[in-house]
Amino acid sequence: MKFSIYQSSRQGGRKYNQDRVAYSYSKESLLMVVADGMGGHFHGEIAAQMTVQLIAEMFQKQARPTLRDPLFFLDQAMHAGHEAICDYSVDNELLESPRTTCVAAVIQRDMVYWAHVGDSRLYFFRHGRLVTRTQDHSRVQQLFDQGRITEAEMATHPERNKIYNCLGGMIPPDVELSRRTSIEAGDILLLCSDGLWGSLSVNEIGSILNTYPLDQAIPELMDHAEFRGGQDGDNLSAIAMTWGGQGSSQPAGGVSTEMMPLDSFTTQLDVLHAPRPAVGEAPVTDDDIEKAIAEIQSAIKKFSK
Amino acid sequence: MSSQQINQALPEGAQILNYRIAKQLSGGGFSIVYLAYDETGTPVAIKEYLPSGLALRDGGEIVQATSVDNLNTFRYGMKCFFEEGRALAKISHPNVVRVTNFFRANETVYMVMQYERGRTLQEHIQQHKGHIRESFIRRVFAQMLNGLREVHTHKLLHLDIKPANIYLRLDGSPVLLDFGAARQTLSSEKNKLSPMYTPGFAAPEQYKNRERLGPWSDIYSVGASMFACMAGFAPQAADARMEDDKMSSATKLWPGEYSEQLLRLIDQCLDLDYMRRPQSVFALQRELVKDVLPEELPRKKSLISSIRATLNKDLFRS
Repeated sequence: MKFSIYQSSRQGGRKYNQDRVAYSYSKESLLMVVADGMGGHFHGEIAAQMTVQLIAEMFQKQARPTLRDPLFFLDQAMHAGHEAICDYSVDNELLESPRTTCVAAVIQRDMVYWAHVGDSRLYFFRHGRLVTRTQDHSRVQQLFDQGRITEAEMATHPERNKIYNCLGGMIPPDVELSRRTSIEAGDILLLCSDGLWGSLSVNEIGSILNTYPLDQAIPELMDHAEFRGGQDGDNLSAIAMTWGGQGSSQPAGGVSTEMMPLDSFTTQLDVLHAPRPAVGEAPVTDDDIEKAIAEIQSAIKKFSK
Repeated sequence: MSSQQINQALPEGAQILNYRIAKQLSGGGFSIVYLAYDETGTPVAIKEYLPSGLALRDGGEIVQATSVDNLNTFRYGMKCFFEEGRALAKISHPNVVRVTNFFRANETVYMVMQYERGRTLQEHIQQHKGHIRESFIRRVFAQMLNGLREVHTHKLLHLDIKPANIYLRLDGSPVLLDFGAARQTLSSEKNKLSPMYTPGFAAPEQYKNRERLGPWSDIYSVGASMFACMAGFAPQAADARMEDDKMSSATKLWPGEYSEQLLRLIDQCLDLDYMRRPQSVFALQRELVKDVLPEELPRKKSLISSIRATLNKDLFRS
């Protein structure tokens, strides 16, 4: 399995970054997740963090080295995220449960599967042209579907923040699943929060992704969106992936899982900015401790004369 | 249990991993340092993460958080211990203590460091009260600053430089010890794990306005340490100085005993206004290694200046 991948998350003009992004891959399966937390204060951040972390953990338990049923997995993982957030708000006696959107995709055996709730999106590009994208669970998307507003108006409509489907809300989520879709070498997937897509047209996104390698295209897209978002701009996050297929041609700077042992995982979970030990920060787990120790020990070896 | 809980150190002979504990070297609010020997008989210093108030060992070896609430804070504090480990692991410099191992045991974490024979600058000051030569001060500090420069290069502040943390090997070369205070990540958790500082050596911005911390904060402590070499004790604490500055300047206390240039340098380091201190270790070091003009060299001590110095010291102490 070969691919190149790039993820990024920025705070925009907001006080907190409530977006979370992560990817994880085994030798034969790749997971990508974006969650955009909602809520007046930092609780949205917790919802997004819990969701992303939980889905990545579940993936690492079940992708051995492939998931038996990726769509079932995505549905199950998102519901688990919802349950975890609800439990958290009960445990902490929160008056209002924190909420988050979520979009996640799995690729294995040249097939891609995705699922989403809310208005974080997945875009599927082939040769720079949009093959498909997720339809938001938002009021403006409904209005658009009814033909009452245009796609461009969706970005500026006063009710654009209204979402009727999410994780952690009063109502259990209605996870929308994709079909099993085949993916070819060169295809690009983009998962992003509304902070990114809200400020960019699909043509802009497609052409930039098609023109530059991901590690330049994503910062470029983020720069544009952040600039347009201005001082009060939303958090913006994205993961983009160019599929390299199973063959030997490897995208420049990409990942090849060929040499990976069957039972190992590489996970990139961005916990953004300096640690904030405020209420609700995920406690330091045994895994964190082991990881820190391993890191220090390897530094000791590396820098010992 | 009493409110002031005291942590018990590991007993002599206790075995952790391949190390056998010989004795406790020091204990702070944050950790305990032991002298231990590995299986080849090589002495090492082992630092055990044990923040009193958060975790407790009352008998036995296992450390337990004092409450469920404190368990999170205890573990959060571990991050700072990791920061210290991470920082030190990357620094391999003859004037900075070398970390050789880092591991987890007894429900807490341990950092193993090279142990060398020698003594701390503090012990040296106590033994040579008032008789530390200028050349010694210049040499030890200029060398120690090589290590501190390396620390700052790694975007880390020491924040607890004092004679007790400057170790002198048998060959006289200095080693910078104890990076336990080098943990700015803690500032937001200050209710439970308050920042550590040593009165007299800590810069004013360590008491408040911690956002102003910078290399100049370590430089204040270096100035205070040089001051202590001459005085035999620490200068007035910076927080008290901010209220009512009673500290006599080095230039006033020891004219004739040390060169004007060195005394002025110390006064500069000890300026309450961080902007007026030497702004980098390199700038300070350059001054320390400067050849002093012959007329600036201290003359032989006259009786009068000795009396004056003694009087000044006594005045200062009161």
